[in-house]
Amino acid sequence: MTGYIIRRILQLLPVLLISSAGIWAMIYAVPGTPIGALVGENATPEQVQAAIQRVGLDQPMLVQFWAWLKSALVGDLGRSIFSRDPVFDLIMGRAPATLQLGLGATLVGLILGIPVAVLSALYPNSWLDRSLSGWSALALGVPTFWLGILLILLFSVELRWLPSASTYVSIFESPWGAIRNTFLPALTLGVYVSGIFARFLRASLLSEMKADYVRTARSKGLKERDVVGRHVFRNALLPFVTVVGLMMAAFIGGTVVTEAVFTYPGIGRLLIQAITQRDYPLIQGVILFILVVHVVINLMVDVLYAYIDPRIEYS
Amino acid sequence: MSEPVLSVRGLEVTFTGGGRPVPAVRGVDFDVYPNEVLGIVGESGSGKSVTSLAVTGLLPETAKVQGSIKLADVEVTTADREVLRQMRGQDVGMIFQDPTTTLNPVFTIGRQVTEGQVAHGQIPAGNARGRGIELLREVDIPDPTGRVVQYPHQFSGGMRQRAVIAMAMAGRPRLIIADEPTTALDVTVQAQVLSVLAKRQADTGAAVILITHDLGVIAEVAHRVAVMYGGRIVETGPVHEIFKRPQHPYTVGLLQSLPRIDAAEERLVPIRGQPPNPARLPTGCTFHPRCPIGRDRERCRTEDPALREVVEGHRSACHCVEEVAALLADTATPARAPATVAPQAAAAQAPLLAVDKLKVHFPIKAGILRRRVGWVRAVDGVSLTVNAGETVGLVGESGCGKTTTGRAIMGLIKATGGSVRFDGQEVTRLSPGELRKARRNMQYIFQDPYSSLNPIKTVGDIVAEPLHIHGIYEEMGGAKRIAELFELVGLPRTVLGRYPREFSGGQKQRIGIARALALQPRLLILDEPVAALDVSIQAQIINLLQDLQKELGLAYLFIAHDLSVVRHISDRVAVMYLGKIIEESEKTTLYETPVHPYTQSLLSAVPVPDPDARHTRRRIVLEGDIPNPSKPPPGCYFHPRCFRASDRCRVEEPAFTPYPGLPTRTACHHAGPLGASS
Amino acid sequence: MTGGMQRSLDVLRRLLSHRGALISVIYLAVVVFVATFARWIIPYDPVVQDLTSTLEAPSAKHWFGTDELGRDLMARAVYGARTSLITAAGAVVIAGVVGIPIGLVAGFFGGWRDAILMRIVDVLLSLPGILFAMALIAVLGRSQLAALVAVGITGIPSFARITRAQVLSLRKRDFVMAVEALGGSSTYNMFRTVLPNSWSPLLVQVVILSSVAILLEAALAFLGVGIPPPTPSWGEMLRTGKSFLYEAPYYAVLPGIVLTLTILSLDTLGRTLAWVLEDRHELGEEAEAEAEKARP
Repeated sequence: MTGYIIRRILQLLPVLLISSAGIWAMIYAVPGTPIGALVGENATPEQVQAAIQRVGLDQPMLVQFWAWLKSALVGDLGRSIFSRDPVFDLIMGRAPATLQLGLGATLVGLILGIPVAVLSALYPNSWLDRSLSGWSALALGVPTFWLGILLILLFSVELRWLPSASTYVSIFESPWGAIRNTFLPALTLGVYVSGIFARFLRASLLSEMKADYVRTARSKGLKERDVVGRHVFRNALLPFVTVVGLMMAAFIGGTVVTEAVFTYPGIGRLLIQAITQRDYPLIQGVILFILVVHVVINLMVDVLYAYIDPRIEYS
Repeated sequence: MSEPVLSVRGLEVTFTGGGRPVPAVRGVDFDVYPNEVLGIVGESGSGKSVTSLAVTGLLPETAKVQGSIKLADVEVTTADREVLRQMRGQDVGMIFQDPTTTLNPVFTIGRQVTEGQVAHGQIPAGNARGRGIELLREVDIPDPTGRVVQYPHQFSGGMRQRAVIAMAMAGRPRLIIADEPTTALDVTVQAQVLSVLAKRQADTGAAVILITHDLGVIAEVAHRVAVMYGGRIVETGPVHEIFKRPQHPYTVGLLQSLPRIDAAEERLVPIRGQPPNPARLPTGCTFHPRCPIGRDRERCRTEDPALREVVEGHRSACHCVEEVAALLADTATPARAPATVAPQAAAAQAPLLAVDKLKVHFPIKAGILRRRVGWVRAVDGVSLTVNAGETVGLVGESGCGKTTTGRAIMGLIKATGGSVRFDGQEVTRLSPGELRKARRNMQYIFQDPYSSLNPIKTVGDIVAEPLHIHGIYEEMGGAKRIAELFELVGLPRTVLGRYPREFSGGQKQRIGIARALALQPRLLILDEPVAALDVSIQAQIINLLQDLQKELGLAYLFIAHDLSVVRHISDRVAVMYLGKIIEESEKTTLYETPVHPYTQSLLSAVPVPDPDARHTRRRIVLEGDIPNPSKPPPGCYFHPRCFRASDRCRVEEPAFTPYPGLPTRTACHHAGPLGASS
Repeated sequence: MTGGMQRSLDVLRRLLSHRGALISVIYLAVVVFVATFARWIIPYDPVVQDLTSTLEAPSAKHWFGTDELGRDLMARAVYGARTSLITAAGAVVIAGVVGIPIGLVAGFFGGWRDAILMRIVDVLLSLPGILFAMALIAVLGRSQLAALVAVGITGIPSFARITRAQVLSLRKRDFVMAVEALGGSSTYNMFRTVLPNSWSPLLVQVVILSSVAILLEAALAFLGVGIPPPTPSWGEMLRTGKSFLYEAPYYAVLPGIVLTLTILSLDTLGRTLAWVLEDRHELGEEAEAEAEKARP
């Protein structure tokens, strides 16, 4: 098992390396000088000097990239051009908020998605299946930013139950405050993924229902509840786990939009703010952070999959 | 006789899915008694599988069932779901065709084998594991204690099917329904599985319904037989009667279209036309359009005959029963002329194809750098020759490397070593462009006619494609040439503008042959060309191939797993095992006097469509499975399964050398004919 | 080729026999028509301001109402459709032109070509599409072309992967090997046998990717990094409309309906198309032979 994980990590290295090289090379592609992109136009000479030393702008490209990567690896991503705070600290300040939103949305997605899929698959092509499939299509088709606006109109403008702009309140500090502030964004994002979950799980369940082993299970005289609940569900769940994992990885992207709708202070808002302010070290840092999280979640999904599927051998 | 276990009366099954209803079963009556094997035989679309599913109540909801099915006091057609569920597993067990898909991949074998009994409360869940071990032991699975916690993918095909048998018999049901239980298995494994099935049936005294298309399996195992055609039983009777004195023209046709492993070559007599489509059944007797007796008779065209008793216990559904015997007699001798004349003149010249020590090794790659960690020795030193106008059969079980050999000769797979000389020219070292030219003289016919034709081209374009590729369409005669090719393979030229999906399997295979002949090749490599076809269609294609050979002077390398078909069509035969040819000889010598123990076991394992042979033939049931070709055993590859293996075989690989006194070459330290009893 | 024409007509006929697909096609046709001939249909210019009538509710004069600068919201929605459609079309073309050959070569030849090309695709996939597009726009600057290119590039992996998967499954089919055995070259086989047999999944992908592209373009505009104002775009309308939720709720609601219906229509169309194309292959004798197997 450990060997398998190490092999998977080693396989990911080239992708990580090339992607981070791309992120690093960004500052050469933007208009103006690289040093300007790194420290801003009105930086003090000391700041310029510090940046030059950190990435070695006078060195050959490869050496520069290596220097940048080395400092990135120990968490030194430079400083924000605007606030002058270390990029790493800025990211870490926002990460818990995004994590809380992502997990909340996954929960909402699973709660809404799984029952829809199971009911659809149990009565395929019935009116129930058709209406539930319509619901999934709607959940997927409605842009999250528009759904967010509608929810604000309903819950904040009309009913005045919830704040229209959310702040981050940790669930550990104030559960009620956290729910009040995270509910709308998590619902918005959760409805969208519930569509993905429902559609995928339904297809997966239906294709497993057609498998030969289902007929075998029935021929043994198993209760239909066990045929579906154990044989079919267990097989359909394997690929579904992957999808749930992939969605969690993708959330970091999805939250960018949702965070903007609710002015929720997560990683996504930090990135948008960095892009509008052309704060290149911050852009680089945030994207690198998201890249690493994305890759790590994918890795965890792979490992989990290998663990729960008896057919995959680690050796 | 005692009370029947199962009694079916007037069973009708109609599928009402899309559009018009499709009648799959149209009025079937039969009984099955304890301690009896009823064989149901029929071609695809005959309704045999639907009948078995109806018995267990497992048909989909789109199927409308009428009539009566009485199984152990339960009326299946009207029983509610819970009664049916109680019945399954306790009163009836099922064995299905493909053991790779019938087991759930994510549960252990032990759990799946005992699950039914646990569900019926026959054993407590805590005892399941012990019971699983016991059940696996009963079907001769080695190391049952270790195997019971393994998953299906860790079992070989034969072991999986034995586990399925254990599962079906776990609750000691009074009826077992086995639907094509050995069709997906190799012949030596089939022999193992059939003997386990027979043993367990004798132990438990269950009644068995064995559904198959293979008349050999029926002759080997069944006590009584029902022949199905077009959704009805057209003939039923004791197994000896069916094979010796068939009373229906369809049964006669089936028997005559079957190549025999136990007989000298005669021309096959195929049944004309195609099996009927359940959605478009002919009027009257469904067999009349293909029947040599009733084809032009008014009565057969309009009136569906009832199943009537001809002799005691032997019934037939034919208006002209009294004429069937004559049918059997007059085709038996004169019409069956010798098929091919062995080409003597050719042997003196240089062979058309000479393969020498051909090797194809596929690398096994692993790890992050995809380093090579080993080789799969798919083909490991194959030498054979094919003379002009001759047919050489290459037989072996799945995974022996026969297909890879054929593809490597064509250059479709790169050879790792050895040489392939076609008409004196070495083809393994040609550049891609030169190889493409060389392929004009050598063509390949694929097994699966469904996948070998491009679905989006018309069949006319498909046959013309090779001419366009080589830029010789006009030169070879253009559209006229294409029409000629269609006529050559027995298809009217009016079908040129149609698409492959509009044709049946046999017709598609004819189109594949026409395409291969377009370039006027001298050698055809035929890879299982009839394996996917029904028996009656198989005979049509075999006859076509023999006619074309005579007419065009073609040489064939005929690759197949079916030893009967190979005996029928070949002049010489080579037997492959794990990437090597282990015995090669003139056909009759190889089949009558095999000297390699593998050939001997292989031939003894083939079921013969003659119920009398059941008691006289000696059967060698091979132990174990074919080893993994990436880790072949040391010494002789066959020694772990061989009944003659000695210490020498474990260390020293035998050379492929002529066997004294016979036109045979073999690779065995202990080669020699079987004892006098064989 | 008349056979090809016949097949396309057959697919179209089956597609339109589904009610959902028919409604979607009609809606999309209306959107395309109105966006194309906007100048003759809509009496207002989408960028001309009228500060005397700002944030007016929908009325007979302004069906969708007016925005904070007094511009007609319906005109902006219609011209916004133009932006969306052009971006989607351009993005799909970029994704297809780059992605399909990548998948074709990787799948057909395998080996080192496959390894290298698929690593490149993995790199593109190592970030969620919207972030990739944002990073690209951060470098290229905000413009319609930048949005189009960014959205297009994020679509490359899906085309490459679907093509590759299709090629790999076709390579296993005997008719592809048959062409090789007949003496056809790799190029011939790739373009004359494999590609023509891949059009069904690719066509479905074109439809689905169009909806993804429209959504992505709108999201970028909503975030304020898409097409710069004053060019009308649906995402930008929602972005501004969001600031006036209390004063003018219709501002953010009406363009959202148009956008959502467009995405839903494309999604319905894509799924029905996939269903119809998949279904078609199973027709004929094979399907009827399957009735014999009669799986529950």
